[in-house]
Amino acid sequence: MPTKNVLNYSYYPGCSLHASAKEYDESTQELFKILRIGLQEVPDWLCCGATPAHNVDELLSLSLCAKNLELADGVQGDLAVACAACFSRLKTAQHKLEENPEKRKQVEYALDAPLAMDKPVKHLLEILAKDYGLEQLGAAMRKSLSGLKVACYYGCLLTRPAEVPQLDCAEAPTIMERVIEAMGAETVKWSHRLECCGANFTLSRPGVVLQLSNEILASAQRAGADCIMVACPLCHANLDIRQKDIEAASGTRYNLPVLYMTQLLALGAGVSAKKLGFDSMMVSPLPLLKEKGLV
Amino acid sequence: MKNSKMTLSAETMNLDFVKKVEKLSDSSVRRCFQCGKCSAGCPMRTFMEHPPNRIVRLLQLGQYERVLAGRSIWYCASCETCSTRCPNKVDLAAIMDALRKCSWDAQGHSKESLVQLANRLFLDNIRTYGRQYEMRLAAAFNLHSGKLLKDFMLGPKLLTKGKLKMFHQKNKNLAEIEKIFRRIEELRKKGEAP
Ligand code: SF4
Ligand code: SF4
Repeated sequence: MPTKNVLNYSYYPGCSLHASAKEYDESTQELFKILRIGLQEVPDWLCCGATPAHNVDELLSLSLCAKNLELADGVQGDLAVACAACFSRLKTAQHKLEENPEKRKQVEYALDAPLAMDKPVKHLLEILAKDYGLEQLGAAMRKSLSGLKVACYYGCLLTRPAEVPQLDCAEAPTIMERVIEAMGAETVKWSHRLECCGANFTLSRPGVVLQLSNEILASAQRAGADCIMVACPLCHANLDIRQKDIEAASGTRYNLPVLYMTQLLALGAGVSAKKLGFDSMMVSPLPLLKEKGLV
Repeated sequence: MKNSKMTLSAETMNLDFVKKVEKLSDSSVRRCFQCGKCSAGCPMRTFMEHPPNRIVRLLQLGQYERVLAGRSIWYCASCETCSTRCPNKVDLAAIMDALRKCSWDAQGHSKESLVQLANRLFLDNIRTYGRQYEMRLAAAFNLHSGKLLKDFMLGPKLLTKGKLKMFHQKNKNLAEIEKIFRRIEELRKKGEAP
């Protein structure tokens, strides 16, 4: 018999979660199911415009986000967002359209409708740490991640700029560490957790990504991390999918698994490893997880 | 241009341009007192000929040609570090967006044409499909850039991992999205939006 959910959200996965980051989507669904948090995907959501739209066309970026918030308004519950970049775009649009009546008028014209933008937009981290709560998260633990040394990587957009995401302190956040420690993991102190991986240059300037992401991997390795934990598909693409290229370019062997926060949490909450997409990662985390007795 | 001598005069200073950038970005360039904090934290400064604080200084002096001619604005990763740390609340990341928009609109021949190409294809993709399909984006990029980036996103490997979709569902909001693009174009034609 299905049990009642303790919380319910509308859900905006974003383009990457339907493609190169499908294991982030799968593990999110599995984790939320076991925690009894309901997620209902916004039907026919659109791309948020990501970096290319705000890079050259702010009005388009704001309009695409406003349209998505209008679509989300038709589904019950605050809007849960998995991708740090989508999260940042949607929150920025809310912030800017609140502050600037002229831009608001232009976006209203573009959408040909009054704006419906008030639904709270929440990153998964925020839902887990604040709405669900760390204590409950700890109580949901079935298999402690103890012994696993995790480097929590925030990247740029989860915390910056200070006024927009408001997840945690912009310069010294601890929300990721607190969430994964609730599942028993150990976290390492390291220098590059808030540095940029070069995200949007994946296509046009891969050299930039190779250099910036290399510094991040090197820093995590120096700190003695077993793996890196991320909460963004773009960070993941650069650190995992590109890791072999980075190793070749820098002549350093890392072999550092890069895991989504939801994969690790779901594992701790007792979801079977088979459902968490570990096979589809470029740097397989399975040897590490076996060594730690987690699979 | 980088090292050429700068003469400040009514002819070389374009303050209208600076006002436009300030309006587009909702941020003032005059508040900057050149502490350099933005550049100290900028992950891309080594790729730029003008680090972020110098971009602001050049804007204060109305030197828009120097700013737009370089590659700096196209190497900004929009990481928001500068905007977060500026003691004077100069929103440099938004200023970078505004400068890119000015350069984009002017359609000047940019040295950073690959970045521009990637942006254009990305936006075309949204207009046509409503969402990004990495496979299509990569294919289009390779086609248009004339470079077969053999390793781009490790295409074949990702395919075997089931990570790239060859087919996709039709989005029910395609007409709505076309309407948004069209109405923005209309607004611009009427001169009611930048
Ligand atoms: S941090 Fe702000 S005040 Fe300091 S140089 Fe940069 S823009 Fe100017
Ligand atoms: S937003 Fe751009 S200019 Fe500012 S710190 Fe990041 S890369 Fe540098």
